[in-house]
Amino acid sequence: MLQLLKIEWLKVKNYRTFWILSTLYLLSIWGINYIVYVIQWKIYHDKNAGDAAKLFLGGPPYAFPKVWAMTSYVSSFLLFIAGLLIIIIVTNEFSFKTHRQNIIDGQTRTQFIVTKLVCGVVVALVSTLFVFLTAMFFGLTAESSDFSFENFQYIFYFFLQALSYCWLAVFFSLLFKRSGISIGVFFLYTIVLENVLVQALNHYANGSGKYLPIQSSDELLPLPFLEKVQQQISPNEVNTTLQLALVLAYLAAYFFFSKRKFETDDL
Amino acid sequence: MDVLTLNGITKYYGKIRALNNVSFSVPEGSVFGILGPNGSGKTTMLGIIMDILRPTSGSFLFFGAPPTGAIRRQIGTLLETPNFYHYLSGERNLRIAAEIKGKGLDQIDEVLHKVNLYQRKTSKFSTYSLGMKQRLAIASCLLGDPKVLVFDEPTNGLDPVGIAEIRELIKSIAAEGKTIIMASHLLDEVEKVCTHVGILKIGNLLAAGKVDEVLVNEDIVEIGAANMQSLEQALHSLNGYTTIKKQNEYIQLLFPVGLANLEKINVHCFNNGIVLNHLRLKKKSLETKFLELTNQ
Repeated sequence: MLQLLKIEWLKVKNYRTFWILSTLYLLSIWGINYIVYVIQWKIYHDKNAGDAAKLFLGGPPYAFPKVWAMTSYVSSFLLFIAGLLIIIIVTNEFSFKTHRQNIIDGQTRTQFIVTKLVCGVVVALVSTLFVFLTAMFFGLTAESSDFSFENFQYIFYFFLQALSYCWLAVFFSLLFKRSGISIGVFFLYTIVLENVLVQALNHYANGSGKYLPIQSSDELLPLPFLEKVQQQISPNEVNTTLQLALVLAYLAAYFFFSKRKFETDDL
Repeated sequence: MDVLTLNGITKYYGKIRALNNVSFSVPEGSVFGILGPNGSGKTTMLGIIMDILRPTSGSFLFFGAPPTGAIRRQIGTLLETPNFYHYLSGERNLRIAAEIKGKGLDQIDEVLHKVNLYQRKTSKFSTYSLGMKQRLAIASCLLGDPKVLVFDEPTNGLDPVGIAEIRELIKSIAAEGKTIIMASHLLDEVEKVCTHVGILKIGNLLAAGKVDEVLVNEDIVEIGAANMQSLEQALHSLNGYTTIKKQNEYIQLLFPVGLANLEKINVHCFNNGIVLNHLRLKKKSLETKFLELTNQ
């Protein structure tokens, strides 16, 4: 596998598009959290808001232990870019027909597709690492904040969601093969269409929206404000075990169907 | 031992049958040409043996064993078009190919020299001309000293000098005892470099075997005289030819290659009281032969 990853490294090492997007994406993880931090800081210190702000935020913004959940939640809005990176590296192979050449040169179909899926793991891991560093940065600089690993599981949930985006991106790339349509459908589905479905299912099908592919991992990273108020409005707690099982089931499905599709198609 | 054996390979694209029950063997050390017009299934067949396409039915063996990635690493293949990363230089593209093959990393400069691309090795693939792309693909095939080479239209897009160079290269590879499987729609290419040939027509294998057995050649002699009828009568008593054909202005006699003797014909006719006003030896082109075969 190391040899296969080395080959992937040779493919992206001199690919400028990939590095520009990756750098901007990782900077944006810090950036989007900075924006939210500034807004929350202003609300928290607004004298007119008073106790309402404290109730709303539940404590100083980005302080430990809440920072783990906050950073994971806020950063998850950028995960479609992680998916974009994956779509680019997979559909590039199709447009250059190098997926064929790699097989001709002696890779097996299984090696090729599993390596792409492992690249998804790498992108998810690097994203998670940056979320961790961003959380550390804000947590350590925030006021009245003592370092704590409480709530650290949210960083792990973020990783699962990042992997869900990346493997869904692999699957869409295999399905559509062209980069334009893969990116379009992936963005529209993850940003808009699935959320429409979630609302519709929640309204008409007894709250079953939480079972959808991306939403099932979204549920693990709930909005970290207003917890106290929320609990009073809607008492149905997130069933973490169920959502975790769903996320793992979807991941297994992306893995299995991507692998089978690439192993049996005419390339 | 046979390098490659196909057993009843059939391939459908939806309802279109691209290959119909194709079986043949490629002996070790041969230059095997797969000949056929555009759309006859040559690339489909090579795609199947390279695991790019799935056969609908049938199987194939390399060196008597089922195909694996490890066997493909021993084969240098150029299929249809050169497939490389456009944003990488020729050299870096070859590095990726060598890493996949697990050998040939130290031969990159050598193969680039062989195909005259060394000067442009640091230029991006996207800046190459069609002929240069084709030559890079051939260089990639040569990495790691493969025992078998598979070329699909290897001279595609090359200028006449490039074509001659590639043919020389193929001949020199063949002289090293390597097996070459080559698809082409260019007859003279097959005639010039191949020892064996298989002819495909809309997915059917019409013939396969040694070139001189499949593409039997004939000499044609055109003969004309003022009185065609008596000429024809006189020719009936001539022996040695295989077929006689009457045409508008001339009579054609078909001889096995090298057996037509114009002097003898001339003397024979003169002795029979006929003075010839036309006598010409025509080599029957392979092209005619090929068209005959594929028009059956």
